[in-house]
Amino acid sequence: MYVAIVFLPALGALIAGTFRAQLGDRGSQLVTCGAMGLSMILGIVAFIDVALGGNTRTIELFDWISSGSMQASWALKFDTLTAVMVMVVTVVSTMVHVYSIGYMSHDPHKPRFMAYLSMFTFAMLMLVTADNLVQLFFGWEGVGLASYLLIGFWYHKPTANAAAIKAFVVNRVGDFGFALGIFGVYILFDTVSFDAIFAAAASKQEASITFLWWEANAITVLSILLFIGAMGKSAQLGLHTWLPDAMEGPTPVSALIHAATMVTAGVFMVARLSPLIEYSADALTVITFVGAATAFFAATVGLCQNDIKRVIAYSTCSQLGYMFFALGVSAYSAAIFHLMTHAFFKALLFLGAGSVIHAMSDEQDMRKMGGIWRKIPLTYSLMWIGSLALAGVPFFAGYYSKDLIIEAAFASGSAVGEFAFWMGITAAVLTAFYSWRLIIMTFHGKTRASDEVFSHVHESPKVMTIPLIVLAIGAIFSGWLGYDLFAGDARADFWGPALLVLEGHDTIEGAHHVPLWVKLCPIIAGVLGIGTAYWFYMLNPSIPGKLATTFRPIYLFLLNKWYFDELYDAVFVRPAMRIGRALWKGGDGAIIDGFGPDGISAVARVLAGRAGRLQTGYVYHYAFAMLIGVIGFVSWFVLV
Amino acid sequence: MIIQALAFYVFAAIAIASGVMVVTSRNPVHSVLYLILAFFNAAALFVLIGAEFIAMILIVVYVGAVAVLFLFVVMMLDINFVELRQGFMRYMPIGALIGLVLLAELVFVGGAWTFSGEATQVMLAKTPEIAAVHNTEAIGNLMYTRYVYLFQAAGLVLLVAMIGAIVLTHRQRDGVRKQRIGAQIAVRREDVVEVVKVTKGGGV
Amino acid sequence: MGATSIPVMAPAAAEIFLAIAGMILLMAGVFRKSGSMAVVSWGAVVALILAAVLVLTHGGTSAEPVFFGMFSTGPFAQFAKLLVLAGSAIAIVMSLDYMKREGIDRFEFPVLVVLATLGMMMMVSANDLIGLYVGLELQSLSLYVIASIRRDSLRSTEAGLKYFVLGAISSGMLLYGSSMIYGFAGTTDFNGLAQVFSKLGDSGPAVGVIIGLVFVISGLAFKVSAVPFHMWTPDVYEGSPTPVTALFAIAPKVAAVALLLRVMIEPFGDLIAQWQQVIVLISIFSMVLGAFAAMVQTSIKRLMAYSSIGHMGFLLVGIAAGNESGVSGVLIYLFVYLFMNVGTFACILSMRQQGRYVEGIGDLSGLSKTHPMMAFALLIFLFSMAGIPPLAGFFGKWYVFMAAIESGLYALAIIGVLASVVGAFYYLRIIKIMYFDEADEPLDAEIGGEMRVVMLVTAAVTLLFFVLPAPIVATARAAASALMGG
Repeated sequence: MYVAIVFLPALGALIAGTFRAQLGDRGSQLVTCGAMGLSMILGIVAFIDVALGGNTRTIELFDWISSGSMQASWALKFDTLTAVMVMVVTVVSTMVHVYSIGYMSHDPHKPRFMAYLSMFTFAMLMLVTADNLVQLFFGWEGVGLASYLLIGFWYHKPTANAAAIKAFVVNRVGDFGFALGIFGVYILFDTVSFDAIFAAAASKQEASITFLWWEANAITVLSILLFIGAMGKSAQLGLHTWLPDAMEGPTPVSALIHAATMVTAGVFMVARLSPLIEYSADALTVITFVGAATAFFAATVGLCQNDIKRVIAYSTCSQLGYMFFALGVSAYSAAIFHLMTHAFFKALLFLGAGSVIHAMSDEQDMRKMGGIWRKIPLTYSLMWIGSLALAGVPFFAGYYSKDLIIEAAFASGSAVGEFAFWMGITAAVLTAFYSWRLIIMTFHGKTRASDEVFSHVHESPKVMTIPLIVLAIGAIFSGWLGYDLFAGDARADFWGPALLVLEGHDTIEGAHHVPLWVKLCPIIAGVLGIGTAYWFYMLNPSIPGKLATTFRPIYLFLLNKWYFDELYDAVFVRPAMRIGRALWKGGDGAIIDGFGPDGISAVARVLAGRAGRLQTGYVYHYAFAMLIGVIGFVSWFVLV
Repeated sequence: MIIQALAFYVFAAIAIASGVMVVTSRNPVHSVLYLILAFFNAAALFVLIGAEFIAMILIVVYVGAVAVLFLFVVMMLDINFVELRQGFMRYMPIGALIGLVLLAELVFVGGAWTFSGEATQVMLAKTPEIAAVHNTEAIGNLMYTRYVYLFQAAGLVLLVAMIGAIVLTHRQRDGVRKQRIGAQIAVRREDVVEVVKVTKGGGV
Repeated sequence: MGATSIPVMAPAAAEIFLAIAGMILLMAGVFRKSGSMAVVSWGAVVALILAAVLVLTHGGTSAEPVFFGMFSTGPFAQFAKLLVLAGSAIAIVMSLDYMKREGIDRFEFPVLVVLATLGMMMMVSANDLIGLYVGLELQSLSLYVIASIRRDSLRSTEAGLKYFVLGAISSGMLLYGSSMIYGFAGTTDFNGLAQVFSKLGDSGPAVGVIIGLVFVISGLAFKVSAVPFHMWTPDVYEGSPTPVTALFAIAPKVAAVALLLRVMIEPFGDLIAQWQQVIVLISIFSMVLGAFAAMVQTSIKRLMAYSSIGHMGFLLVGIAAGNESGVSGVLIYLFVYLFMNVGTFACILSMRQQGRYVEGIGDLSGLSKTHPMMAFALLIFLFSMAGIPPLAGFFGKWYVFMAAIESGLYALAIIGVLASVVGAFYYLRIIKIMYFDEADEPLDAEIGGEMRVVMLVTAAVTLLFFVLPAPIVATARAAASALMGG
């Protein structure tokens, strides 16, 4: 059964991809959705068995690499952490699969799309079930590849291609760190298997690693390197630039990859490695700081975006920041809890946005929407549920997890924890604000769409709305249902050995005992944000424009995403292009080609001609060659 | 002893000399005849070391069958040896050079020859006392027991040689009259004999 | 050993079976007369498969000496024999269609292949210089005939004749060397030789033994077509009918390499200091010549000839290393080599224009448009032969180079890597022609069912080897340690 969970999507992808001509659109959709559905049911069963029943297990499939002390096998490790991830991934992915049937109904390449989606899911499942770093890396790269293919799915659009390449390249930067981290782990522990690493982690606390003349604590260095990988995949500040651009892909892709599952791979990885990272206070500090900064930064950018999907994308970025600073303050279970709730409501929001875009004849700019809430009431109410959950309004899913994170940050008591706490509160205000800005601009007021588009506005078909409803149920109840399990008193039993929190780092416990004002802060922040948005965009729509002109520099700063793209362009891309051009024209063209390929190939051609001419076709020449060869060797031994 | 040594050198010298003549003589028939002479001398050398059975086999098989077959082939095929010889002369210098170098080296090696410590023992261990069993019996004892594997394998080599010869040369031609014994025996009188009543004066 | 005792034969069950099967097939072919090629061919394939089963069940290490010590057993022989049997069986399967179309569908062909395979298995199992020679001759003689099986074609008969004459010279060298070794050691038995050489002490062997060894190596190097004993290879590859070329490129090479490996390691293991010099030199020559001479070829069969010369050079690197990882590297390389070559020849055998077989590299132009799957399969094989990771060919090279480095042959490993870079050029040239050149005259669309299966399987193995190398690597290691230990 456990094997089937992982390999069913792969099977679906293979069948749909290979036999796309024979199966046709309908067939490939049925195959992939069927395989995913089955995988989801099994995933839920596995969750009940492993996480609730406590039956953790590792299933060895077969050996993969065996070279000296380097041993890596294909194995599926099912513990609570994996089970949670498997459930989240399969459920969301199944919903997205079903939704895609409706959303992509006008696309001519449906089988390819479905196959990519399933392949992506397979890679993600491989990632979360890995029992060693190399297999994790396999899943990691598989996910990266699938996301590249999916972002660039509409390969005839230059922007989509550019976005796909950008996602791939930026991820490569992170992967570089990740790969170095894996090498380092292997050097330090002489193994890549998780169990063996974790067992040895405590004894290596004091080990140090030397690079050139610079000596540092080994675990800190490794943790930070691995975290750089997580930063790339999870779009943390600095390596986040690909995520908003990735919205060029079809919306189900955005929902699946860039909201619910793939970007959470980094969070998962850090949580998975908690028994290692926990031993490095410095690494935890770095993680907290980066996470908090991302949460704040992305929320501010989200304020001014006009593309409906970009707003949600930055919101994802910001929520990932939350998760990371939760990890940083050792509240791993809170991070995973938020990961789960976030998966539901963010997928809901994205798919809801997709439904809106679908209704608006593929319009994504919120400035050209408005006033459509009567026409698509179901989508409208589902977007409300998603936004309420995102803003952390009480009793929706996001409330439980986000509050827990913010409180845990406060409870950690460190300076960086304090910083994270305040950043989190601020970001919560901003989150609530831009969520309602989105709702109001999209659904309320007078419409700004053209008459033709407006008259076409229609509710999406059932095949799209039913997944939305399922996700909405998750967005409402998953927090309430999961709170006790993930963060309640029984959490130690629930998680088992999957997560490790050292003595004195237990911020979840601390979070339950923070002052009342801390507990209230997030709720107040949410209400404040919603209120401001309502005032700005509903009651007094002229204010945003005035603010924008008054604080024009700030507005532009935010609108242009803090000029990260421009900065990278100036610092990395353009100098790299210049160096590249210089090397191409001068170094490669003149020097290397001159002496190298051109020169060598000319020589090689001459040699090759001679070698070819040795072959005269006369038997006695051949016989002479043999004899001369023998005599050469004989003379060598006789004379020397 | 001295007679034996003398005989050895005589036979060996003749063998080498006739070997040279095989290669150099102008008339191919002479070449084959020199080859037969070389075989005879080799057989004599075998006799000298007490291997009379092999000596006889050499004469029966090589001289009696192989060399005579060669002779027939050479006489039947009218090969223009003058043409072949031109190529030979062209490569003579380099061939001679290579041969000389090899010869020099081998002479050197032969001069510096040593046997491994046990070589003589190991060799003697396999050879039965010459007086006890005679040659043919000794070979027979070994060939079908200890060397049965090689014997069978050699048989397979011969089988392949036979198949090869048939594959490469045998052709079914039309219009060839073959003797079909079965058909000849099965012929009935009625098939071949027709009794014709001849009317008088009318002819056949 | 009494004169009347019956030899232990069970471990040689596969060889005995194959010999009998060969004769039965011959009879079947003779009595069925015309049109018996297909029947005999499939019979031969079945016989080879059954022989493989027998190798697996009976070929394990035997406690007692088989055939009075003439025949060696064990995992090493098993590994090599299975490769040989697979190569021969696939070659027969691939020949069916070709032979029929070209009008040379003679039932003797599969029979000769079976007998040649028997010879190869005897080579692999040789435990005595005489046994080695007889096995070698059985194999070679069958191959000489097969090479000229298209007896009406001048090129084919010329190929067979050249192969025969040069093969006879090499056999002569082998025998001459063997006799020198016998003269020194007084035995032809491998175990006995190993014993003699292990007791040499500091003075080392006499120069005569080394010269004998040089002759033996030269004779065997002819069979693996290592430079400078390679000259027959391009002509024979080009002149023979293509399925025969495919056979030549695969099974005899595996057998000869395995034989060379056994001869170097088992009886002459203690003379490594001497033979290593020879092997290193011919290895370098082979790699370099293979890489350069292939560049200017226009016939894909000639190109494959030089390619196999180059591959033999790489394999000799592993032999030169002379350690356990070298042996296992060579076995892994052979496994990979088998699949790459079979696949490539399946592609070559599918090259037809208007019903006629063609073999120019230029005929492949535009293949990616007319036969995308076949072009992709060929791409995989060529990339793999060029040694581009993560395809199977890369691992073969990697293991032998690692072994060379392990035993301190740095220069050899470096030259090997450079040669494989040069070699990549001509493989890439074919890919360029397939993918970027316009076709003047497209190849026929129809590809035989057997070819499709062969291409698919070999491409899958070549492409996915890296996913699951462990079983092969483990088996090769076990075989290598058995050889080194025994």
